[in-house]
Amino acid sequence: MRPLDLTEKDPSKKITIYLDGEPYEAYEGEKFPVAMLANGVYWLTTSNEGRHRGAFTFGPVPVTVNGVKNINGRKLKLKDGMKIERQRYDEFQEQVEIDEGKPVLRYVVDVAVIGAGPAGLGVVEEIGGKLTVALIEEKGWLGGDMWLKGVEQEGFGNPREAIERLTNFPENVRVFLKTAALGVYDKGEYFLVPAVRNDQLIEFMAKKVVLATGAVDNIMLFENNDWPGVFRRADALEVMNVWGVAPGRKVAVTGAFPEEITAELERWGIEYIIVPNVKRVEGEDRIERVIDENGNVYEVDALIMADGRIPDINPITQAGGKLRFKRGYYMPILDDEHRIRDGIYVAGSAVSIKPHYANYLEGKLVGAYILREFGYESEPCIYEERLKEYEPVARPVPKLPLDNFNGEDVQICGCGVTLKKVDDVVRSGITDLQIIKRLTHLAMGFCQGRFCLFNGALLVSQRSGMGMDRLDIPVARPPIKNVKMKVVAGRD
Amino acid sequence: MPTRELPEKSEITIIGGGIVGVTIAHELAKRGEEVTVIEKRFIGSGSTFRCGTGIRQQFNDEANVQVMKRSVELWKKYSEEYGFPFQQTGYLFLLYDDEEVETFKRNIAIQNKFGVPTRLITPEEAKEIVPLLDISEVVAASWNPTDGKASPFHSTAKFALHAEEFGAKLVEYTEVKDFIIENGEIKGLKTSRGTIKTGIVVNATNAWAKLINAMAGIRTKIPIEPYKHQAVITQPIKKGSVKPMVISFRYGHAYLTQTSHGGIIGGVGYEEGPTYDLNPTYEFLREVSYYFTKIIPALRELLILRTWAGYYAKTPDSNPAIGKIEELSDYYIAAGFSGHGFMMAPAVAEMVADLITKGKTDLPAWWYDPYRFERGELRGKALQMG
Repeated sequence: MRPLDLTEKDPSKKITIYLDGEPYEAYEGEKFPVAMLANGVYWLTTSNEGRHRGAFTFGPVPVTVNGVKNINGRKLKLKDGMKIERQRYDEFQEQVEIDEGKPVLRYVVDVAVIGAGPAGLGVVEEIGGKLTVALIEEKGWLGGDMWLKGVEQEGFGNPREAIERLTNFPENVRVFLKTAALGVYDKGEYFLVPAVRNDQLIEFMAKKVVLATGAVDNIMLFENNDWPGVFRRADALEVMNVWGVAPGRKVAVTGAFPEEITAELERWGIEYIIVPNVKRVEGEDRIERVIDENGNVYEVDALIMADGRIPDINPITQAGGKLRFKRGYYMPILDDEHRIRDGIYVAGSAVSIKPHYANYLEGKLVGAYILREFGYESEPCIYEERLKEYEPVARPVPKLPLDNFNGEDVQICGCGVTLKKVDDVVRSGITDLQIIKRLTHLAMGFCQGRFCLFNGALLVSQRSGMGMDRLDIPVARPPIKNVKMKVVAGRD
Repeated sequence: MPTRELPEKSEITIIGGGIVGVTIAHELAKRGEEVTVIEKRFIGSGSTFRCGTGIRQQFNDEANVQVMKRSVELWKKYSEEYGFPFQQTGYLFLLYDDEEVETFKRNIAIQNKFGVPTRLITPEEAKEIVPLLDISEVVAASWNPTDGKASPFHSTAKFALHAEEFGAKLVEYTEVKDFIIENGEIKGLKTSRGTIKTGIVVNATNAWAKLINAMAGIRTKIPIEPYKHQAVITQPIKKGSVKPMVISFRYGHAYLTQTSHGGIIGGVGYEEGPTYDLNPTYEFLREVSYYFTKIIPALRELLILRTWAGYYAKTPDSNPAIGKIEELSDYYIAAGFSGHGFMMAPAVAEMVADLITKGKTDLPAWWYDPYRFERGELRGKALQMG
């Protein structure tokens, strides 16, 4: 077993790969960052400012694979003998193969469901068999965030068994895994949802669209928060429960919701310590220690941020939805049938933060509304009633200890934007996030603000005294997920 | 950034705080005039905010070439004085057949006549300038190394700052609602934040110009309509990868260059309108990707981060309306820039300031005569990109 393996891997799939010429043990089909982590290697790429970065928090992970630059290391599946080199963010492949690309695939369906977490699965369970459905999921698995869990989930019991029960789909449900939806475009008669799978463009034409697009882990602000060894909660869960690899031998957990990760760490027997107020992390090519606001030093290999999730607002605003600030986060404004506008529904943690089972019920509810629209008998009120038993989680609005930080070491955005840069602009009196974006490049990178806009708003609110509800949050522009130009360049 | 209270009175009031309104205010204030800009959102928030960065002198008529020659002199002067980046990295027009070459030879002759040093170069020379180009179908290129690019938002902010230092007042988040007119004379403006007494008004609202003209009761036909044009940006790559603005009429009227941040930015001719809608479309995403990858194949493997839209405030001959409207004293217009207003702004500011303070200008303002539409004297179509 490799140093951080938690489980025995299939020996017939054992391969050797090379990172900057050094050989490492890996397994066929394993993702590159997971294999490197199992070997104890956290540093995988370097930002334009020369900062070392790993793959488990924000920012892109471009690597050079067998001499070809700018390959997304996060999604790279390993093959025997693969030669991988670290590179800087701005290196790119100048010589490229020119081909006609793959033909566009087109599907006409009644409903396009974007996201296959408990909410998306709830929708499909409700409408499958009656309506034709395209279930579009960016990840390689069904079940969303719940698939990452090992411990029992309220209402569901064993999470994996529950997902297996929910994924016995009828024939008129088509499932598209590893398929990233680029946005929702209103074409009048139907909604167009273009998506990308394996460099192929797929166009879904749907009468109704459900955004079951989930929530994202909040990125916490502290010094060197981009350093290799910093994990978002979801990434830590994924390496343990999907890949059987530990985030580290000894890890620190921080954030307002440490219990979301500690039960899983205990299940695997990984030693951990809770550090509530992280000021700084330090180390060479990975975290070696965590320092809190009181100056206490903790020697660890990794730090997991468990600060709660916030709805991913990008798919919502791109599709034309409006937002409000409630319970500590921005959430979509819905009509009385869970729509942001005619024909576009939202369900699950994209609406509000609550247990997986409640998100599933909300999916069922949206499914019931849609059935009714198509002229079927359905009883949404049953789900409405049951959903009322789950009060969404209120997330405390964090207070940033702005004046205790060295703002130059705190990364607010994965693309090299420091807290200081944004803070300087805000302190000069600019509180409009549109202007802040333009002046600092906040929310203009690879994640389009998914991991930094909330913190930007928080900073403005804290410095200016304006309530979070009064800030004008910039809307997401298509494509809501990055797409290679060649994928959309083809002509029919 | 300025957010002043609305003053009680101002000699001159400019409606619109984009690059054109701000540079006009800057020029007037520098000459000692009392001037106020009224902007309904924030300074630089309209089309300036969404603009593609390019500054060129390669036009196809004498007036625009002269104006842009002056404008580039001013871009250079003020970028040095005020410390905002204006990079003279050139404009490169890729040409694909004899007809295009002949047209550009004529254009180059006009440009050379006024001292703009454009040259016809070979495909190989073009590739030396931008090594990533696919020149397999290119037969020649039109190249002027003194054209360039600047960040629209940063430069507008700097002009605004210095306009204020010269005494201009810039009022944000204030919308003009109506004119106060007595006996054909402007007495003031009603705004969302009260009334301002003023005698001279400049309509510098570009895409919204017809609304302001209607508010002022102008009967002269000045057809300016908003069209939706879109732009794209890719992931940042090594700086210096695409230095000039590269233009290809063959491939979708495309323009593309690299921003100071490293992303490849640009657009194509794909146009919708007249409309005030600004939602980016899927059709544009497809078109721009198709054309861009024909011009620079390496873009195939780059990630698209974002698309967005802005207005071209278009006139029938793609030239702006700049001048005094005689039916109402003293009302001026500087609008309808048809996709190339950012680059013209410093020279337009000089022209408008000349017209207001001296009643005449050495720059060929006659070309942009607001009455030409009514007279049926459309100009030769100004070279429009994207």
